[in-house]
Amino acid sequence: MKRGLMAAVTLSAAVALSVSACGSSNKSSGGGGGTTTLKVVAADYGTGPANSSQKYWQGIVDAFHAQNPNITVNVQTINWNDFDNQVKTMVQNKQYPDVLEGDYFPDYAQAGLLYPANEVLSPSTFSNLLPVFAKLNTYNGTQYGMPFTTSARTLFYNKKLFQQAGITSAPQTWSDIQNDAAKIKSLGKMGFGLPLGSEEAQAEALLWFLGNGGLYQDDSGKWVINSTQNVETMQFLSGLVKSGVTEPNPGTKNRTDLWKQFAQGEVGMINGSPALIPIIQDGGKLKAEDWVSVPIPGKAGPLDKTLGVCDNTSVFKTDTSKKATITKFLDFVYQDKYQLQFDKEYALLPATNSGVRALSSDPTFGPFLKALPNSVQYPNAPVWSQVKTQIQQTIATALTQDPKKVLDAIQQTAEKGS
Amino acid sequence: MVDTVPVTGVPRESARRARQRSVGRRLRRAATPLLWIGPAIALVGVVVLWPVYEMFRTSFQRFSPNGFFLGSAGWRNFTDLFAEADLRDILVRTVLWVVVVVGITMLISLALAQLFNERFPGRRVARWALIAPWAASVVMTSLIFRWALDPNSGVINVLLHDVGLLKSYGSSQADWLGRPNAAFVWMMVVAIFVSLPFSTYALLAGLQTIPVELYEAARVDGASTWRAYRSITLPLLRPSFLVAALINVINVFNSFPIIWEMTRGGPGHETSTTTVFMFQLKQAYIGESAAMSVLNFALVIIVVLVFLKATRWREQVS
Repeated sequence: MKRGLMAAVTLSAAVALSVSACGSSNKSSGGGGGTTTLKVVAADYGTGPANSSQKYWQGIVDAFHAQNPNITVNVQTINWNDFDNQVKTMVQNKQYPDVLEGDYFPDYAQAGLLYPANEVLSPSTFSNLLPVFAKLNTYNGTQYGMPFTTSARTLFYNKKLFQQAGITSAPQTWSDIQNDAAKIKSLGKMGFGLPLGSEEAQAEALLWFLGNGGLYQDDSGKWVINSTQNVETMQFLSGLVKSGVTEPNPGTKNRTDLWKQFAQGEVGMINGSPALIPIIQDGGKLKAEDWVSVPIPGKAGPLDKTLGVCDNTSVFKTDTSKKATITKFLDFVYQDKYQLQFDKEYALLPATNSGVRALSSDPTFGPFLKALPNSVQYPNAPVWSQVKTQIQQTIATALTQDPKKVLDAIQQTAEKGS
Repeated sequence: MVDTVPVTGVPRESARRARQRSVGRRLRRAATPLLWIGPAIALVGVVVLWPVYEMFRTSFQRFSPNGFFLGSAGWRNFTDLFAEADLRDILVRTVLWVVVVVGITMLISLALAQLFNERFPGRRVARWALIAPWAASVVMTSLIFRWALDPNSGVINVLLHDVGLLKSYGSSQADWLGRPNAAFVWMMVVAIFVSLPFSTYALLAGLQTIPVELYEAARVDGASTWRAYRSITLPLLRPSFLVAALINVINVFNSFPIIWEMTRGGPGHETSTTTVFMFQLKQAYIGESAAMSVLNFALVIIVVLVFLKATRWREQVS
């Protein structure tokens, strides 16, 4: 008797578990006279609980709810390291959020999962989005991703270490990097921080490819991942790593960790974005005059274009009756007030015209904002999300193996299409 | 049979009713155990058989990376999988992972179980303490080890530095988890650490079933301690040793969190086992990942069958 009872209890527990696992798809009462619930999934830009993006979103959501008592918005934030993985799993299991903020996946637009941007934003909010990122977020002539926050990359270097090493000018070429890094290395510090781990390898690699005239995809849409230039670039990086001036085994090191080490004054040079600035300030080791940010060195001279990145909002077609509510919510989110709050909190750049105007005279953000309109961006083909995953996972193996083979394999994935 | 017996209506009627009653009773009697084992069968069906069926089905289907069904794939997921350049290394690494981790775990467990079977002050506390690596979440343990191995400030590196074995922080030498081979060895250490409690307890339980009289008799016969261990303890411990080893083989083969938390299988796939590789594939290639699952499933079954055959399980355990 007892055992049967136990089995019954176990069974019902198991059923309950599996039901709850499948059942969290987000079926809320859409519209009608009752309340509407929206589910927002966003990336967490914070470095810890103190500045978690959950707080930022909760502030917006509470203010929004105060104005619209019959709309409840639930926010879930996911740290960047797990973001792609968790979002992909969510989508594969058809547990779509209403609003997603973070990476934009062009293949979701291709699969018809998303609303076009102009259908879920009021015309004034839509026309306020920075036009430079429109192409990146467009699939088949329709824009699906809505830029939410943007950023541009520059080279940060530690002036104090440069002085100690007797280096007087900013690095401009790859050989400058090689030489300066070696001098810093002899001080017992890390010469160059090279984060080719899975977190952001696709950005770091592209910054180096650009320096040799390489790209992932050229203007005509042809994939050029395994171009001669890119192979050369990986060979140069491989030599740089072997000479010992970078951290050991860059393929296992992520940007967040290396940025922290830069902030502690342990690293001579590293590619960074404005988001590195608050980390430096929090570290308390480097004073404002101890570091500087300059255009990224290329093989023969500094890049005239940098990598402009933007994180996007996209809206899933979960329940048509929610569309009006989502528009209302997004119009609220895209107010200058919240754009600027976000940019100040994480030292990122605004994604709206009015936001850029408000910040253009800011001494920290100004230079980055000027570089933004002329920036290079990631490919917008649907297969990019697979290509990106593979770059993150494998590009660093080109440092220890034949780079041509590694890049060929990625190129093959890109050409196969999604 | 009844029809062949010429009987009048009334007794015939009652015989039929009796028969019906007995059939009903028999049915009920047959159904009673079902009532007891039914929930267990349902449980096995829901959490074992159905997922296995789904796994096989998925491995022959084509999916977009977003989880949309695109039709049948035939054997393409399997041909894609076997065309993966890294698969061979991953398989070899998986075998190494299982053999080394289970082998060393069982050896250390034998010694530990012997120790915990002796009387010594604080034995109760020591036995409890052994549960800790088992009770703690594996993810947590792996994270602790990852931090302890941090090239700049990890406590293990600090210790090695202080005793003079590590020359400088942040060097390649200190970067244990960055070098695939060193990382793999460290992950094996963690896997052994978390597997020890279970096997030690299984062996300890086995040791306690061995009657003390056997040892007394051996002593009277003048057997040395080592001889008694070899001729009494080991043979009588065999059943529990085999059960513990088998369960370990399955657990270690399927082990995912240690590798995922410590290296994510990287760089590339250089520290992946098949279980981790399956998860890496799932990011973009659902069908191929399912094919990897099927391969994993087949491997586990083969390994278990070989194990049972080699150890002549039937004679030993049942």
